[in-house]
Amino acid sequence: MSLFARLAAAPGGRAGLTILGLMAFIAFAAPALFPGDPLRIAGPALLPPFSSSEFPLGTDRLGRDVLACLVHGAQISLLVGLAAAAAAIFVGMVVGALAGFAGGLVEEALMRVVETFQIVPGFLMALAFASVLGASLPIIILAIALAAWAEPARLTRAQVLAIREQDYIAAARALGMHPLEIAFKEILPNALAPVLALSSVIVAGAILTEAALSFLGLGDPNVVTWGSMIAEGRNVIRSAPFLSILPGLALVVTVLGVYLFSEGLADTLRQNGEERP
Amino acid sequence: MPVLLSRRLLLQSSAAFATLATLGFRAQAQGTGGRLIVAADSEPKNLNPAIVASNGVFFIASKVIEPLAEASFTGEDRLEPRLATGWKGSADGLSATFTLREGVKWHDGKPFTSADVAFSAMNIWKPLQNLGRIVFANLSNVETPDEKTAIFRFSKPTPFQLIRNALPVVTSVVPKHLYEGTDIAANPANNTLIGTGPFKFAEYKPGEYYRLERNADYWSEDQPKLDEIVYRVLPDRAGAGTALEAEEIHLAAFSAVPLTDLARIGKEPGIQIISAGYEALTYQLVVEINHRRKELADLRVRQAIAHAIDKDFVVRTIFLGFAEPSTGPVPHNSTEFYFSDVPDYEFDVDKANALLDEAGYTRGSNGTRFSLKLLAAPYFNETRQFGDYLRQALAAIGIDAELANNDSAAHQKAVYTDHAFDLAVAPPVFRGDPAISTTILVQSGIPAGVPFSNQGGYANPELDAIITKASETVDGKARIDLYNDFQRLVAEDLPLINVAEWGFITVARDTVLNVGDNPRWAVSNWADTALKG
Repeated sequence: MSLFARLAAAPGGRAGLTILGLMAFIAFAAPALFPGDPLRIAGPALLPPFSSSEFPLGTDRLGRDVLACLVHGAQISLLVGLAAAAAAIFVGMVVGALAGFAGGLVEEALMRVVETFQIVPGFLMALAFASVLGASLPIIILAIALAAWAEPARLTRAQVLAIREQDYIAAARALGMHPLEIAFKEILPNALAPVLALSSVIVAGAILTEAALSFLGLGDPNVVTWGSMIAEGRNVIRSAPFLSILPGLALVVTVLGVYLFSEGLADTLRQNGEERP
Repeated sequence: MPVLLSRRLLLQSSAAFATLATLGFRAQAQGTGGRLIVAADSEPKNLNPAIVASNGVFFIASKVIEPLAEASFTGEDRLEPRLATGWKGSADGLSATFTLREGVKWHDGKPFTSADVAFSAMNIWKPLQNLGRIVFANLSNVETPDEKTAIFRFSKPTPFQLIRNALPVVTSVVPKHLYEGTDIAANPANNTLIGTGPFKFAEYKPGEYYRLERNADYWSEDQPKLDEIVYRVLPDRAGAGTALEAEEIHLAAFSAVPLTDLARIGKEPGIQIISAGYEALTYQLVVEINHRRKELADLRVRQAIAHAIDKDFVVRTIFLGFAEPSTGPVPHNSTEFYFSDVPDYEFDVDKANALLDEAGYTRGSNGTRFSLKLLAAPYFNETRQFGDYLRQALAAIGIDAELANNDSAAHQKAVYTDHAFDLAVAPPVFRGDPAISTTILVQSGIPAGVPFSNQGGYANPELDAIITKASETVDGKARIDLYNDFQRLVAEDLPLINVAEWGFITVARDTVLNVGDNPRWAVSNWADTALKG
């Protein structure tokens, strides 16, 4: 049975896959579903949801279509989440693999750097980074990745340390393979699975961090994000609570989807391991 | 260790809580006059209004330290006497004579004399104060022939009209005996204020409250009406409305309750919404333009931008009707200076597009003519929202505006020091006379780094000449005529675009009496403010 099929068979994994698939579809289709700038002032201000067929989820303080903003927000949230997680995992794995394989002084030095990043609360680091360098999408992705790469680095190193002592690595050494070749061709692929399971947690964390940064006004003001929608809605929370609740729900569903997916993935991977002789 | 630390913190915070409880922080009358509890949203570093003439400082300090005269709806020259009982300017504009009030004492018991006025003027207002620097630029000395007379001497003619209009804002008098021979900027009296006002400064707990006590020796009999004023620090804007409803505070001024909440809170029994009391504190919503950009140096482009802005939409949607569309750099409610016969830029997208085509900026294949960097001042929700709106309004005429997100310090540096903007949204204040803080917005030759001034590189010799001439014209009528020309020229040449003007809103329990009874009420002395029952 393929990994994917097994994942889809587990109830949690299936739900996660469905939610993520739906989100991905919405994100991809956003420009087609709601062409043009979603921040365009499209109608009268503060229309409540379900009161107009033109604006099914109502409009915000300036008369922007809430549904269009939500859909385009999914794009930004997923983009930031995936890009930040990819960057964090790539950097983390390279550093972790180098540290674990090189050992000695290099390992000491690299792991101290990792620890330095690990002891600083991730959100604070992203906050400081974004407020110093200014708020634009690449900077925010970088800031989130910077706050999240330490964990995969530690995990990769631990995996590498375990695998390094296996017989097939000794065999590779005896064959005269270059150490770097051994690290990236023999060890890393085998250390990959648990680190990838971590990835979905990082994606969920990144989506939430991005929302929190936008909520605090450190997002990119030229794109719509769920965090900035919540922040804007907060000003009218007593008279138009839907403006904060709707993007909040979208966040919850997405993060839940990512979480279920990651649980399912971890389970499936574990079973995979058990099935091995 | 961490456990101990958090326990200590817990103890501290519960002690603070107990203090609040013993102070009886509930909005109820005590004694005869009662305690008025007010929401404060900022804690100024320097509380001395003679040095920092700003509304945040005045809100608290104006109850303790008084100016020579206060703004008034009904008084002669729209003024009401405070520490001065009479004022007169000479015909040549080279001197101004103030007769001071008899029998006034500082809160530490020493008598108030003309020496205090002379000291404040020469040592603080002129050299140190943000606005006094401009108004008293040509003040050469202050003579004190007797204890109750102060004669201001000017090296160049200075219009008395300007001095008079500036009196409430720039003439907070501080005691000479506490400041003489000290480092004025670092004097402890800048925070534990000693003044002549109806209330004495009693206590300040950072992050919690300021407390002012009744001055029993106040010069005006039967005043103040209140026993105490407590400013509760509530930095969260949503907090003020809730605190009012819970009767924890009596009053929230300066639109501390967001405009969007007014319709709802106004329906609550026992709460009143008051828009009076800010007539002399008019804020203006302005689009600042960087004329160094070649596109924006073209008048047709500026006109197109003016035509692209729907002022009625801004007033209706962003300010929820609590504002008025602007026609020029002087607001409508300045009856003395407002001039209506200026070019008008009605909302007309087609006309704006035609102007841009005519200027040679045709739309590219993606529908965009050119791109701009737009910085919206973060001080108010409304300025930020207008930034969002302006980006969309510009998109409609093919200008792609990119917004940047900055905090206050970064915004001021970007606009007023580094000039790293193309368009900026600013909320300057009109302070009763164009010469105080309005002409500086368009005048040329201002060094980089001066906040709320012309940093857009605009230079118009004709406009500069009018501004200079008006600053030396002593005759009131002639000066008003010059400022009419000034308004016409600004509206014609658009060094900046005036969009709307607004005052603030006070929300108060209906037990608070005499709210908004002068044009600077929130920053006046509150001697007649009272609590019912």
